[in-house]
Amino acid sequence: MKVTFKIWRQENAKSNGGFQSYEVDGLTDDMSFLEALDHLNEILVGQNQKTIAYEYDCREGICGQCGVFINGRAHGPLDNITTCQLHMRSFTDGQTIVVEPWRAKAFPVIKDLVVDRSALDNIMEQGGYISAKTGTAPEANAILVGKDVADKAMDAAACIGCGACVASCKNASAALFTAAKINHMNSLPQGKQEAHRRVLEMSRQMELEGFGSCTFTGACEVECPEGISITNIAEMNARRAMAKWHNL
Amino acid sequence: MFLRKSIIALTGLFLCIFLIVHLSANIILLLPQETARGLYNAYATTLRESFLIKIVAYVLYLSIILHVIYAIQITFKNRRAKPKKYLENKLRQNSSWASQNMGLLGVAILLFLVVHLANFWARIKLGLGEGVRLDDNGHVDVYEVTYSLFQNSYYVFFYTVLMVPLGLHLHHGFKSAFMTLGFYHKKGLNILAKISLAYAGMMSIGFGIIPLMVYLK
Repeated sequence: MKVTFKIWRQENAKSNGGFQSYEVDGLTDDMSFLEALDHLNEILVGQNQKTIAYEYDCREGICGQCGVFINGRAHGPLDNITTCQLHMRSFTDGQTIVVEPWRAKAFPVIKDLVVDRSALDNIMEQGGYISAKTGTAPEANAILVGKDVADKAMDAAACIGCGACVASCKNASAALFTAAKINHMNSLPQGKQEAHRRVLEMSRQMELEGFGSCTFTGACEVECPEGISITNIAEMNARRAMAKWHNL
Repeated sequence: MFLRKSIIALTGLFLCIFLIVHLSANIILLLPQETARGLYNAYATTLRESFLIKIVAYVLYLSIILHVIYAIQITFKNRRAKPKKYLENKLRQNSSWASQNMGLLGVAILLFLVVHLANFWARIKLGLGEGVRLDDNGHVDVYEVTYSLFQNSYYVFFYTVLMVPLGLHLHHGFKSAFMTLGFYHKKGLNILAKISLAYAGMMSIGFGIIPLMVYLK
């Protein structure tokens, strides 16, 4: 299988980037997209050229490290997957594949396809935790949680923070990420004590980081590898209104 | 921005209710000529003389102004959040065209509104341009203003075609407003999506077809 990669190359955060095309032969259908990029990098090393920088860690769709914009979609042409779970069989022989880094003011490009996603960590620092001292691991059934509540919290907690929601949103809004983190904590009994403070401070930090507002285009939930529902954002809005009311 | 977004949603929903009332009254225009004239003018006079309607009218002006100003502010802020665009972006594969272009649709509606207000509001309420005569019952002949306007095919075309962006804007805006205000019940939202489609369809077809029917009368 032979494809042409058209990849964004950028030396560092300050330099101007640009696209560069690479014709790559010797690929197979069952190669993952990242393996295809590895293959290209091996060729570049052989030619004594600079390799392409991209992020990955687990390569099994659970860490949220990998993530690039492929042919006009976050994480490539399929819905609800990570970049590492994308395979070359999703492309055709001879196709040109455009690979770009996540685009958002809050996600500056560090090098090539790598962006700085610290803005998401800064949101987490404002309340994406429980401040009670827990000591050693507590007895699992000390606090009873109903199945429906546990399921709902788990659906939101599934967020791996890859940033596809921000990347695919026309407003570069981090509302889906922030909402998932807030709803995960706030729906569990352990999170209730700090629920109001959490929603207000995390949503405030989201704005301070320079993310845009949510206009419910729904692009994020289609690109989210965990399929986190956009209704989470509406729920965050409701929780935020309740917290505001409570603080009056 | 959360407060401003909520105000856009609230004013938008108020405008949605206004459109229902407006369209209901426009149905009178489809009645036979003289019946329509009598009823329509009587209705217009009743509205003009009502104190309650006067308050509602000011709320309406304020709603339109706030809706537009805050929408412009948020649009510019959102653009700043995404300074660099993708070389290739297949938006149609993950979202609807209308949801991606609410600003553009809004501008089309605003353009319509300016012309619409110049045609009716400026002439009847502000007394600008050609004077409006009274009908046999002594009511201001609003029907004549409407009827004569829709004898002009250019206006009919304008009034009909611009109901398409209105429908698209309403289809996304109606449901989205509820979500902005914190309505997150999943089944409820599925029902709301259907209501949103039905409402937007009714408004755009209803408002779009009446000028055409008056023209063909």
